[in-house]
Amino acid sequence: MERNKELKSQMPRICLVSSGDEAGEQSGRLETQLTLLPHHLPCIVQIREKRLSTHELLRLAHRMKLLTLSKKVLLVINERVDIALAAALDGIHLPENGCSPMVLRPLAPTMLFGCSVHSFEASQVAEESGADYLIFGPIFDTPSKRPYGPPQGLEKLRRLCQSTTLPVFALGGVGPENAERCMAEGAYGVAALALFMDTIRFIDTIEQLYHTVTP
Amino acid sequence: MIPASPFLCVITDEALCPVTLAQEALKGGAAMIQLRHKSASGSQLFSWAVAIGKYCQQSEAIFIVNDRLDIAMASGADGVHLGQEDMPAITARKIVGKNYLIGVSAASIHEALEAEKDGADYVGFGHIYPTSSKEKRNSPVGIDTLQQVSAMLTIPILAIGGINSQNAGIIISSGASGVAVISAISRTDDPLYATRKLVDAITTYT
Repeated sequence: MERNKELKSQMPRICLVSSGDEAGEQSGRLETQLTLLPHHLPCIVQIREKRLSTHELLRLAHRMKLLTLSKKVLLVINERVDIALAAALDGIHLPENGCSPMVLRPLAPTMLFGCSVHSFEASQVAEESGADYLIFGPIFDTPSKRPYGPPQGLEKLRRLCQSTTLPVFALGGVGPENAERCMAEGAYGVAALALFMDTIRFIDTIEQLYHTVTP
Repeated sequence: MIPASPFLCVITDEALCPVTLAQEALKGGAAMIQLRHKSASGSQLFSWAVAIGKYCQQSEAIFIVNDRLDIAMASGADGVHLGQEDMPAITARKIVGKNYLIGVSAASIHEALEAEKDGADYVGFGHIYPTSSKEKRNSPVGIDTLQQVSAMLTIPILAIGGINSQNAGIIISSGASGVAVISAISRTDDPLYATRKLVDAITTYT
């Protein structure tokens, strides 16, 4: 359990979520991002690649793990505790339709368990099930989430942060220009996918974001 | 844990509720159920796995989950079945230890030998005959190859692919420990009856 406490006490305030495109034309972007990531900058890197086979995911996880060795990165993977164990990752991230952290925790007691939530009810369930952190969104308008309805907004972010003791990462249209507003509402940090896709500007973007979210 | 006498393994089909199919198959005498669903969410898979696991326990049948070792372990399944695109058996073995069933799909003698070397408890070998149930990497391996691989492996072989009550006998007499089926059970009007007929064919071969 000490390891779990240690992970929680040094939880980064930025979460980089993979694009889901590693199976297609953008294969290799995640490794490029991780290579570019400055050594001093703490970051959660979330592998979320639904289109890869288990064997491909495992190989990606192994390669990513090697790239994190000299960095302040916590490497987590969506859902797959088995891959997290096999590649000695730091944690698991669960979508709202994933397994409960309660049933998975015994398989990996020291790992971090994050949960994506889109409502107060889901946030409460996640906290009661033993989640270590939450990702809540979408906060702002973002093209990929438009089909699911309007964004949740800052007011809801504030109320959600007040209703839970867990660290909350704000997701959805968040970048250096508006991250401060999320932090002002009580977010612990920010999470993003699209923001980091431009690997030419990646270092500038993540440095700016880091300065905005660091207290 | 794998039955000593010839047995039937029923693999769930995405077209039907896996729990209902498993219940019918168990009533019909299946000794092993494999939950296989590539598109279900984690929580859906987990709840199916818990339900099927409970029915298998009541019927003293073996319950395994395809590919998702995480779901297999979380639900208390007896084992996991790994395809060639899934986690390597040798990696899975490090996670689960000795007392957990690991099955591996093999479509050639080479893959079957590798699976045994990697610590698999059984090999799912096929497809033996042409079949429509799954996308195929190879052409059917045929009975001769099944006989060859039976002679070379020490672990049990579950033959799969186009097996029905007419040809199940020859499969067992060719050295397979059992038969695994999907569509032969799921794509019938009466899965319970279809299971019973197959189990009879497997257990009464001459």
